[in-house]
Amino acid sequence: MSYAIEVKNLKRVYKTYSKKEGVVESIKGLWNRQYTEKVALQNINLQIEPGKIVGLIGSNGAGKTTLLKVLAGLIYPSEGEVSVLGFNPWERDYDYLKQMSPLLGQKNQLWWDISARDSYALLANIYDINISDAKMRVNQLAEMLGCSHVLDTQLRRLSLGERMKMEIIGSLLHRPQVLFLDEPTIGLDIVAQNAIRHFLENYVKEYKPVVILTSHYMDDISELADNLLLISKGELVYNGTVDEFTSEAKISKKIIYRYKNDTKEHELVYESHELSNKLGEIMKQGEVVDLKIDEVDFEEVIHRFLAKESGLL
Amino acid sequence: MLQPLISVGIELILWLAIFNATDSLTIGGFDRNMYLAYVVWAPFLGRVGISWMYESMMVEEVASGNINIVLTRPISFYEYYLSQLMGYKFTTTIVSIIIPLIITQIYQLPINYSRLPLAFSLVICYLFLIHNLSFIVSTLAFFMTKVKSFTLVKNLSLWLLAGELVPIDLMPAVLAKILLILPFSSGVYIPVAYMTGRCQIDLIYQGFISVFVSFILSSILCRLLWSKGLREYTGTGA
Repeated sequence: MSYAIEVKNLKRVYKTYSKKEGVVESIKGLWNRQYTEKVALQNINLQIEPGKIVGLIGSNGAGKTTLLKVLAGLIYPSEGEVSVLGFNPWERDYDYLKQMSPLLGQKNQLWWDISARDSYALLANIYDINISDAKMRVNQLAEMLGCSHVLDTQLRRLSLGERMKMEIIGSLLHRPQVLFLDEPTIGLDIVAQNAIRHFLENYVKEYKPVVILTSHYMDDISELADNLLLISKGELVYNGTVDEFTSEAKISKKIIYRYKNDTKEHELVYESHELSNKLGEIMKQGEVVDLKIDEVDFEEVIHRFLAKESGLL
Repeated sequence: MLQPLISVGIELILWLAIFNATDSLTIGGFDRNMYLAYVVWAPFLGRVGISWMYESMMVEEVASGNINIVLTRPISFYEYYLSQLMGYKFTTTIVSIIIPLIITQIYQLPINYSRLPLAFSLVICYLFLIHNLSFIVSTLAFFMTKVKSFTLVKNLSLWLLAGELVPIDLMPAVLAKILLILPFSSGVYIPVAYMTGRCQIDLIYQGFISVFVSFILSSILCRLLWSKGLREYTGTGA
């Protein structure tokens, strides 16, 4: 099978100048520089098929943004092989860049002082898209996202949600085969989040690009992703489907209880075979006046998994 | 429009004051009107042949990581800013040329308009070299912080080296000879001197050669620094 993205033994080390305190040390640093090395990624091996949405999850500093940067060709790897659509990303071949698109939720990629429609005309030129095709695609995407009415408004005058929709249109205008979505719904209200999720789901069904998606909202991942990549301390700790992950995680339920004369509710997540023991432990510690058993949501499963991998649990 | 008007006004007052204070009708062999013509056209060409605004933007893009947007699109950072610079210069030049033209008419200054196209061609070639220098300064932001101070130092040096501050023929002979060999005099002194009759066409040809050679050499440096910079780059801010 041919994969859209293949990574073998990827390693990325950041080397940073380490300056000691004080003016004298600063001057010494001019000829005697001390460097510290931080391994951001290591032993990364993965293969992603065309048309898949992959959720990339990890705590802050785990290495997910570094992985996206390597795949997008922004930085060089220290070791290993990376192939995206058959290209070495960091060579930045125009044929590759025309088939790839990053969408960084926290950065504006369109021009701030002009209307989105004018930005799309510029992008059409950059990506060598026929202007009438570009217009047709913009109208089609704007209709899908329900934002046709703001296409002619200066970008700086749009709300965050409208701006994000404009950014999405801009990043999809050239119909990329690979999409890197970094926090596409960050800061948006629930209505806008849902609209964007729904749009992405339909778009991927229709055009079948590979999507690598990072998000702090686990609903984005659980609703959109086919596969999960979990990164912890620069290493891939899980690579599989979302369904397999939730079933393997075993922690599907939690006990919610309250002691007598205590206003606070407590929660205890357990694996199915531990129910009797956990109930016994709870009863020993006081008189329980309220108790129920509930499903653990996907976000909690992920958080517990990552905390366990990071040694916090 | 306002900036060139103020700078031309300041220079005019300065040189009128110098000629009023001296008993001589000429300085360095040139009369008052020759100097007035120089001070009217030198700041104008000085503004055309400079790119501090785009250089600052380029430095900021590299330092802040906003360059990521350009790096992930099928367009080069060099071309992206060159096209913006040329578009901006085209528009502002058309607007701001009105001022030296009007002043030249009012004071009946000695400008040979038939020499204007060749003089302008040299300035346009010089602008490509200036863009290379801006590109080199911006690539330094891959390796160090506070790169904007280089822009300030570079522009102050160019102000002197191009002959915008003082006509090069007023400088000591050895220094003047060196400055005329360097490409920077092609930004202001050589084209203005040619238009005002202070020099002949051979100096213009020398300017074209100097700018061309410097452009080739600086392009090699651009490429080296860019490749090395990208190896160092950590995708800041993404």
